[in-house]
Amino acid sequence: MTTSESTQQPHSQAQERVYLHPVPVRIWHWVNALGFLLLILTGFQIRYVDLFSLMSFETAVHLHNWVGFAVIANWFLWFFYYISSDKITNYHADLDARNFFKRYFDQAQYYSFGIFKGEKRPHNVNPHDKFNPMQKLTYQFVMFITAPVTFFTGLMMWDVARFQSLISMVGGIRVVNTIHVLMFILFVFFIFLHAYMGMLGPKPSSHYREMFTGWEEPHE
Amino acid sequence: MKSGIKTGILLVAIALLGMAPAIGLADHHEEVSNPDLKCLKCHSKNLKKKLEDGEKMSLRIEVEEFGSSVHKVIGCTGCHRDVAKGKHPSKQPIASRRAYSLKHNQTCSQCHEAAHESYRNSVHASMVEHGDDNAPLCSDCHSAHAIQSRVAYEPVNGEPCSRCHTKINEAFEQSIHGLARSEGNLIRGDHVQAPSCTGCHNSHDISAVTDTDYLVPTCISCHEVAELAHEQWLPNAGMHLKSVGCAACHSPQAELRVDLQLYDRLRQAPVRQNENNGTVQETLAAIDTNGDGLDPVELWKLVRQINDQEEVSDITLLGRLEVTNSVDAHRLAASTEAVRSCESCHRSDAEPFQNVTVSLSRKDGRKESFKADRKVLASAMSVDSVGGFYAPGGTRIKLLDGLLVLAILGGLAVPVVHISLGKILRKKKQPDNS
Repeated sequence: MTTSESTQQPHSQAQERVYLHPVPVRIWHWVNALGFLLLILTGFQIRYVDLFSLMSFETAVHLHNWVGFAVIANWFLWFFYYISSDKITNYHADLDARNFFKRYFDQAQYYSFGIFKGEKRPHNVNPHDKFNPMQKLTYQFVMFITAPVTFFTGLMMWDVARFQSLISMVGGIRVVNTIHVLMFILFVFFIFLHAYMGMLGPKPSSHYREMFTGWEEPHE
Repeated sequence: MKSGIKTGILLVAIALLGMAPAIGLADHHEEVSNPDLKCLKCHSKNLKKKLEDGEKMSLRIEVEEFGSSVHKVIGCTGCHRDVAKGKHPSKQPIASRRAYSLKHNQTCSQCHEAAHESYRNSVHASMVEHGDDNAPLCSDCHSAHAIQSRVAYEPVNGEPCSRCHTKINEAFEQSIHGLARSEGNLIRGDHVQAPSCTGCHNSHDISAVTDTDYLVPTCISCHEVAELAHEQWLPNAGMHLKSVGCAACHSPQAELRVDLQLYDRLRQAPVRQNENNGTVQETLAAIDTNGDGLDPVELWKLVRQINDQEEVSDITLLGRLEVTNSVDAHRLAASTEAVRSCESCHRSDAEPFQNVTVSLSRKDGRKESFKADRKVLASAMSVDSVGGFYAPGGTRIKLLDGLLVLAILGGLAVPVVHISLGKILRKKKQPDNS
């Protein structure tokens, strides 16, 4: 996806609409969304087999493993797309920390009050800087720390015998599982927030539609 | 002349009388050599020797037994060499029957060097070394004078093991292995012989349970496809085969527990009581002051303290799901009856997780277990001390459950609070607009 392509705009709404989400990103996003929901569901079944019986423990483990591998593969789709594209700027760290956290605070203030008062969004999106500071920090944390840590710990638990020496280095299978579950808890919290904040667009369904069409919908 | 004839008749009579018992013995046991017949002349009688412990030890040898033993070819002096020197030890004091057997344990090694070397490395020898008077010596299994060929010690009927391990043998006889031996191998065919005691435990180099990997490799050595068969359906089959004893699933009626074995990672061996840590019981008593079993904090302290006691060590706890007693371990059933339901172990209220022990090796290598509170499997304190054992679901940490509930409540609260805030702010805004 080139810069010219990503900034192309439909004739009637040339000023408002921006092509934010290229096809690979949208595929990655929805595969990831489905994958995470399945992982959370099967994760609940594995951890709370005495409380839930949506499926057998055995089925839950097998499904969890297969979906886990799919989500790991999907992460690489995301990684290689961004690393080979000029859109990687979306994930670049802001070197001016003072400025970044000022904008972070402005964004938090907007979500807390400004959004209800009809104030203008503090962050102007464009294909190379589509995340506001709150989104950027969250997604950097999720994609570069939470997800890889979850993948590594999940891999270790997928075949404990194979990764035994690595598991011992970390401190044992219980340590590995505790880290995995802490990541799981973070993802559960993230999913709630992510789903809700996706409704804070011009219309509650706007951001959801954007993730299907790729085009940002106009803000008033 | 007359007196000469009389003397001659008397000597012949005495000679004939003297030979009488030997002739009688020789009649029944022609293969017993003449020198041995000389010994048996006295030792076939009900001779007894008073021992220093007050017991009277019978010196009678059952002629028939000795005559049919494989040792008759080496004769009495083959083992009783002190007699061969012409010094009959009848006057030498013997402390006790056990002391005499112990002395002759070494005698066997003079010919059976390899077997004795194996025995020396066994848990039986270790028990002997550490003063256990019930530990078996050579003669306890092989008898002293009725020693049979190797084939006779194939413990078809549990002999000689069943003399001490009676209940285990009873369980074995009703197991899939025992029935296959007594009634024919219906599963694998009669050309495949099911194991007897020695098939799994060896005959002389018998290991303590704590010093082995619970015989899993032994089971696999006959059940060659077991690993593959488990891999086809059991997630993490390799880990299960390592941390779950075969009998835990294949002895379906068995009572189960989780045993946390104190293990030295540097020595790659279970912690064994020795001069440095010989006070484990004292350490335990000092930590578990109310004697109700080790709770998570106490267990953490125990691991710390034992690590401190050992000069160079890396002590950890290796968890293992296993049958509670060795009798159940021998009650193996057909594979079709084995536990196959994951839920039976991965529920937090599953039976094995209600019964937790901490164990180490005694000086003689046998396992010594101490009770632990079942909370040790579900406590955040155990992340460090019980780092090596975790069964998803079954031993989940309760603190993490609390965090998950907070995450869900927080995740629901954010939209509710935000929407409510929005309504309040919009209401405030409306009068201003009007």
